[in-house]
Amino acid sequence: MAKGFFTDTTLCIGCKACEVACKQWNQLPAEEYEFSAKSYDNTMQLSGTTWRHVKFIERTTAEDGVPASRWLMMSDVCKHCTHAGCLEACPTGAIIRNEFDDVYVQPDVCNGCGYCVPSCPFGVIDMVAQAAVPSVGPAAGDRDCGSLASGGVEGDESVLQRPSGIAAKCTLCYDRQNIAMTPACAKACPTESIQFGDVDDLKARAKERVTELRTRGVKGYLYGVDETTSVGDLNAFFLLTEPSEAYNLPAKPVLPSTHQPAGYAAAAAAAAVLALAGIAIFWVAPSGPGAA
Amino acid sequence: MKPVSPDESMRGAAAGGDLTAAHQSYFGQPVLKRPHWDWKVVAYLFIGGIMGGSGILAALADGSRDKADRTLARSSRYLSLSLAAISPVMLIAHLGRPERFHHMLRIFKLKSVMSMGVWGLLLFSNVALVNAAHQLAEDGKAPRAFRALPRAAVGLMQAGLGAFMAGYTGVLLSATAIPLWAKGKRHIPAISVCSSVASACAANAIVLALVGGPARTISKLERLEFVAACAEAVLLLHFRRHAGESGEAMFSGHLGQSLRNFTLIGGLALPMAHNGMAFAPLRPTQHGLRTILVSALTLMGGYVFRYVLIEAGKASADDPQLALRPPQ
Repeated sequence: MAKGFFTDTTLCIGCKACEVACKQWNQLPAEEYEFSAKSYDNTMQLSGTTWRHVKFIERTTAEDGVPASRWLMMSDVCKHCTHAGCLEACPTGAIIRNEFDDVYVQPDVCNGCGYCVPSCPFGVIDMVAQAAVPSVGPAAGDRDCGSLASGGVEGDESVLQRPSGIAAKCTLCYDRQNIAMTPACAKACPTESIQFGDVDDLKARAKERVTELRTRGVKGYLYGVDETTSVGDLNAFFLLTEPSEAYNLPAKPVLPSTHQPAGYAAAAAAAAVLALAGIAIFWVAPSGPGAA
Repeated sequence: MKPVSPDESMRGAAAGGDLTAAHQSYFGQPVLKRPHWDWKVVAYLFIGGIMGGSGILAALADGSRDKADRTLARSSRYLSLSLAAISPVMLIAHLGRPERFHHMLRIFKLKSVMSMGVWGLLLFSNVALVNAAHQLAEDGKAPRAFRALPRAAVGLMQAGLGAFMAGYTGVLLSATAIPLWAKGKRHIPAISVCSSVASACAANAIVLALVGGPARTISKLERLEFVAACAEAVLLLHFRRHAGESGEAMFSGHLGQSLRNFTLIGGLALPMAHNGMAFAPLRPTQHGLRTILVSALTLMGGYVFRYVLIEAGKASADDPQLALRPPQ
């Protein structure tokens, strides 16, 4: 049974409890504080060490000639796509679809080739740089990741220190799901803007919510439900009230592997042309005056 | 419950939404993440290209009736194997966790170009080893028993795998969400093949010039290099027109300048002007130093092309407007 998130942006109050709960449960380090001067957002993006991120989208409108401003708040997360670019790109099989139908990076398998990073059309998955990860546990202070890994206690790695040099993103709290717990972000959300459950149930609930909002004059739509794109539906989908670009989400995301047939064909065509030229030059044509 | 179809007018600015220019992204924040690939990946693409191209040249030289081409068969086989030894070093060094390189050999995945490339490299190295062993035996530097190896079949395999190694890196880049690379899904793989063959011709010409190889074979290399460079130049210029906005990072600014000076002019036009003479019935006699200089220009052009391709790809990932409207 597919499990996922329904993130209803109309309910988000921008408290960032999801961000904090995610960091706490997953033992992710805090970002270096940097004042962005962009609304109340100093994190700015999802990353290898930020798996939930609240966007503060500022809107100024003129209502009856009076300028008014409002916020669109949105808690962004890995979309856990039906056809996931990162999963398809992964050459080690580290990225899998788990029994909850979610896209999961096995931290002990990933070797940090980085191919999943440009293969995500949403820019979610990212590398965790070796230097960027401070140790979490007290015992790990003077140990680098390499010595830990070569020490043969790979299992302890997650306890003592976040693995680094690999790709990372939201696991949809695989570990919590395994013991029938709600993912940390959904658990912490005080307004039920983030709802966790069976994707089919969530979709039905979300469609009802869209209908309800329309009766109240709010034009919302679901992003990631009944999609016709090559990426397909998203197991973590969203209720949005503005065009998706306002949330930095492409209206029609493209699955990168769909470019492969054209690419291989073009390479084969070029190779065939040059092979024929080579045959003509080396095998057929007279050797030229130099031969004399 | 009545089903609610997504309101198409809401879906995106491109579909008729009413976003003002300032609101078309989230504070201009990049939508995509840059790949972390640095010079090691550029070097891997470059070395892999020469390696693969040399595999093709080995088969061409081997099949030639011209005895002079034996020297090319020798140089291309040895060069191919030497580069096949360096190539994985670059590949492994770029990994975040190099000690886990072998995890790529857990699975064979048609959908992942990276996986296909690793297996292609592994196969190619083995085939290159067999061919080089055969060559060593021919040169009297290895047991004669190696001469019993199936020469033609393995040579053909090396050529086929060589073409794959020359082209797959282009497919690898274009099968991503990076706007520049995705836009060049046909151009980049084809240019990679052309550039690889041209670079392989240049590298082998240098080797032949250094060992005093036959002028006739060097001249043939120059002719093939000319054809490959012509195709590469035409494709590059066509890609510039085709890429439009997505190609800005590659064809303008300091990267565009590098591409123009070191690849289009220095690495393609100049060598073409020289190598074109190889077609002339009355051409000047071969000159070793000139061959080496011109070939070095071609190699420089090939390296700079790959450098610009990677760096411009990263830059294009930073532009939210390109990423929000990916080429379908």
